[in-house]
Amino acid sequence: MIELKNVTKVFKSDLLTQPFIALDDVSFNIPEASMVGFLGANGAGKTTSLKIIMDFIRPTSGIVNFEPSLGSTKEEVFQNIGFLPERPYFYPSLSGEDFLLFMGKLSGMNRSQILSEVGEWAPRFKIDHALKREIKTYSKGMLQRIGFLATIIHHPKLVILDEPLSGLDPIGRKELKDVIIEVHKQGKTIFFSSHIVPDVEEICDRVIFLKDGKLIYNGAVGELISNSNDSEYLLTVKIADGVNLVTPFKQLTLLPDNLRRYIVDAALKEAFIRDVIDKKGDIISLEMKKPSLEEIFYKTKSMGDLS
Amino acid sequence: MSKMWTIAYFTFKEIFKSKVLINVFFVGLGLMLVTYVATEFTYGVPEKVALDFGIGMLSLSSLAISLFLGVTLLSKEIDSRTVYMVISRPVPRYAFIIGKIFGLLGVQLVNVILLGGMTILVVNILGGNLSPLIFWCVGFIFLESILLLLVVLLVSLFANNILTTLFSIIILILGHAVKETQNINFVKRNPFFEYLLEFYHYFLPAFYKLNIKDFLIYKNNLNSDYLFLNLSYGLLYSLFLGILIILIFNRKNLD
Ligand SMILES: Nc1ncnc2c1ncn2[C@@H]1O[C@H](COP(=O)(O)OP(=O)(O)OP(=O)(O)O)[C@@H](O)[C@H]1O
Ligand SMILES: [Mg+2]
Repeated sequence: MIELKNVTKVFKSDLLTQPFIALDDVSFNIPEASMVGFLGANGAGKTTSLKIIMDFIRPTSGIVNFEPSLGSTKEEVFQNIGFLPERPYFYPSLSGEDFLLFMGKLSGMNRSQILSEVGEWAPRFKIDHALKREIKTYSKGMLQRIGFLATIIHHPKLVILDEPLSGLDPIGRKELKDVIIEVHKQGKTIFFSSHIVPDVEEICDRVIFLKDGKLIYNGAVGELISNSNDSEYLLTVKIADGVNLVTPFKQLTLLPDNLRRYIVDAALKEAFIRDVIDKKGDIISLEMKKPSLEEIFYKTKSMGDLS
Repeated sequence: MSKMWTIAYFTFKEIFKSKVLINVFFVGLGLMLVTYVATEFTYGVPEKVALDFGIGMLSLSSLAISLFLGVTLLSKEIDSRTVYMVISRPVPRYAFIIGKIFGLLGVQLVNVILLGGMTILVVNILGGNLSPLIFWCVGFIFLESILLLLVVLLVSLFANNILTTLFSIIILILGHAVKETQNINFVKRNPFFEYLLEFYHYFLPAFYKLNIKDFLIYKNNLNSDYLFLNLSYGLLYSLFLGILIILIFNRKNLD
């Protein structure tokens, strides 16, 4: 749907400060009908990338391409995109309904089309009771939900969300994730940024991973997990007091009743098991510990790259 | 085109509902009452006092609306990221900015009609005879507030709110003061100042050209050449500023 090609963004705020490279030669694409998570720590450059895609700011170099299926003019393309900025805040003195009418009309819908969409979605988002109220009386979760409703009201093919789940409580997150999944199932492409890794792991099929303005991963979620070949095993062993195992391990937890829990590198698993048997120990359980996206995420934060 | 009106309409509604205008209205109403009472105790020309006061209030409140609502018209959109909501839709940037301007001018127009109407009404009740010049005067006040709004918006594309306010007030005061300055003998005799004034007239808005309050109150006539010339000046200058604002906003990074 969209493709970024060698996008670099340098911010020169004033003459005294150093130019700041917010994005460094970033290239990726969003395949049609995918649900793509856009991960990165605070300041990684997610919002900057989205602003460049939406043409709010211009890249220092590089280009953004839109697939012909989105349209051939800027107007057509934007007709097919729904965008929700981060921490959205709407016109406080307009009512919720007015705001949705405003957004819908800007997307070329007429009043009755808008109201019928609102009638369908608002109860699902639990904002139907508040539509006549001024937006300044809305809670954070309601703002996020009405923002999402405004984003999808015109049936865009591509939905771009900047941190849609931040600031919501667990139930609010779950509810919004459910509607995002539902919208995705209707065939829409979804691209959303987040630093909440489990959310991305849970609902996305692809991830794009930025670190300090550089792209470090772009691909399927599963691949990212299986590619990181530092998988480990978790062993629970019953062994007499005072017995020492010689095989190196990563972590040891002592449990009652002579039980010990070891975390062992995959490569040393067999040597470790042999060691336990030699020492007359008993293996109670053995399981492979696949790192979650979150662990990979934090590992790459402290280390360098992710090959 | 229709999207521009949508933006103007909701901008108007947002400002209107945030009750700014209602406050202005009550201030106007209250002060008119005060004038009315005061005129009861004044010898001679109560209708002139009312006219002077009404027109003064109208002029002041129009300029205040342009200044204080104009300063935040764009910066608020950017700070609260509502501009992203709007221009992520199939809406060209010029439609956004023109819509915002017309929305605020709608508020301005309501204010002018309310306070202007009240002034005319009060003067009428007091038995003053009104020349058509009053309509010119009210129209020029509206035009002056448009011009000030555009100055404010242009400056706000480059400066923060406080600087924009200060800078715009300075331009407004200068724009009125150049007239008096021209007549000071010292300036007349000094070629440097003459050039400076000429320079000013070429580039900065001469707000005094739109101020015909004194003519209305003390002379009650003014030749129509003067009126049409200054009307065209105000309109052309506004058009020029409007185009400049659109061109700059089109290329601006919205971050
Ligand atoms: N206008 C600007 N001028 C200077 N630096 C900027 C500007 N906008 C963003 N930056 C810098 O660019 C970097 C990336 O910012 P960005 O907002 O894209 O991060 P992010 O990944 O969205 O982070 P977060 O998760 O906190 O939202 C940050 O270090 C930020 O300070
Ligand atoms: Mg961000």
